[in-house]
Amino acid sequence: MSITDLTSMAKPEEEAKEDINEVLNGLKEDVPSFCYQCGKCTSGCEAFILLELEPSKVMALAKSGFIEELKDSDVIWTCLTCLKCKERCPQDLAPVDVLFALKNLSVSSGKQIDSGISNMLQSVLSSGMIQKPKEVRDHKNEGVNREDTGLPECPKPSQEELAKLQQTLMKVAQEKLR
Amino acid sequence: MELGLYLGCLIPTEQYAYELSIREVFPKLGVELKDIQGPTCCGAPLRNINMSLTMYLSARNLALAEKQDLDILAPCPYCHQALTRTMAVLDENQELREKVNSHLADEDMRYQGNVKLYHVLDLLHDVVGVEKIKEEVEKPLEGTNIAAHYGCHLIRPNGLERPDDSEDPQKMESLLRAIGMDSEDYVEKLDCCGAHVMVNEPESALTKTGQKLEAVQERGFHGMATMCPWGQRMFDSKQEDAAATVGASLELPVLYYTQLLGIAMGISPSDLGIELNLSPIHKIEHLEVEE
Ligand code: SF4
Ligand code: SF4
Repeated sequence: MSITDLTSMAKPEEEAKEDINEVLNGLKEDVPSFCYQCGKCTSGCEAFILLELEPSKVMALAKSGFIEELKDSDVIWTCLTCLKCKERCPQDLAPVDVLFALKNLSVSSGKQIDSGISNMLQSVLSSGMIQKPKEVRDHKNEGVNREDTGLPECPKPSQEELAKLQQTLMKVAQEKLR
Repeated sequence: MELGLYLGCLIPTEQYAYELSIREVFPKLGVELKDIQGPTCCGAPLRNINMSLTMYLSARNLALAEKQDLDILAPCPYCHQALTRTMAVLDENQELREKVNSHLADEDMRYQGNVKLYHVLDLLHDVVGVEKIKEEVEKPLEGTNIAAHYGCHLIRPNGLERPDDSEDPQKMESLLRAIGMDSEDYVEKLDCCGAHVMVNEPESALTKTGQKLEAVQERGFHGMATMCPWGQRMFDSKQEDAAATVGASLELPVLYYTQLLGIAMGISPSDLGIELNLSPIHKIEHLEVEE
């Protein structure tokens, strides 16, 4: 079970486009006429200066139908999910959610994503969590494990529960739960 | 009061100091914590990949709490926001709730929609209350000016029920004052820690971290308090890397608010995981760390 299993269930392009339109529409009944390009989202965007993400431009491109180009671009992966764009848009739009939809589309169309991101999925599928308890360093640079801290055992699902969860997640990944 | 503790992923797998200090302080303030059994990731980190997974995983954890008949304390803002969002969506959209429940049924679970959710911030400020905290203080941490870092997901977006105001949060400051510290607003208060792109754009992520730390340090604060494991990981655990990335000399003590609270309540610092902080916390008076 892996990310490739999820991505190999790639949707046909047409269906994928319908998908994103649905997301766009869900964000407000008719996004194209609502974003008036005021640029407020970009002016407060945490990823603007450093990573050159311009959420207002993403909105403009999405509304003009450049879904393909957006979904294959690297810039959609630079969003810090600070949610300021969603908070501040005078039109109640959410560029951050459009970016999430584009990233989802990119994954389901089989684009190779950063291994750090796909590893989290692998880990959730195999253990229920994005990572297992780690050895950390203390201020004397000595290794400390969870057990050394006196904390109780890490609460987690049983093997049996995990097996069921895996099956469900594989089904859920192909559905639209939003 | 009894609550189900839902830790998410980052806290129980590496941010041990947050968990230790939470398990220490809350029972002493009249909040008993029980572990939610069989929890998984809240799904928020998978939102990039597939939003349906996020929705399902959040609903599953909510259903687990309902099964144990417990309201939830979710100390991670990222989890707290994902769970809040799922609750809001499933409360409004019955059709979707049924779809989610049909999958949950395969795991012998059901989400009914009658669970309440708290974060450390609202639990301390609105439920336990500032007055009660003041009463419990044995050792006021006076003479120290601390910058509050809330974390983006704790306060945004306004459209969802969040524990404090999106643009002008003040509860953490009042909690800091309750234990004797000073805390005032600063221009960079709402700035992001950078954590979200740490896996794919580490240099930019660390630049965000370093820039905020540098600003806080230059403004003369003695340290920073957080309530977010992702923020703490960047500002404390990765402070050295952040300093190297922005080319600044950073020496800013960064602690979880629950650690500071515990110290003020007279709990031994080592029971609060203080040895696990990597920033120079000894620079703050009252924080004796065994060398
Ligand atoms: S703030 Fe809203 S209306 Fe203005 S450009 Fe951004 S998405 Fe469009
Ligand atoms: S959520 Fe993303 S796109 Fe929106 S302002 Fe923050 S970094 Fe920019």
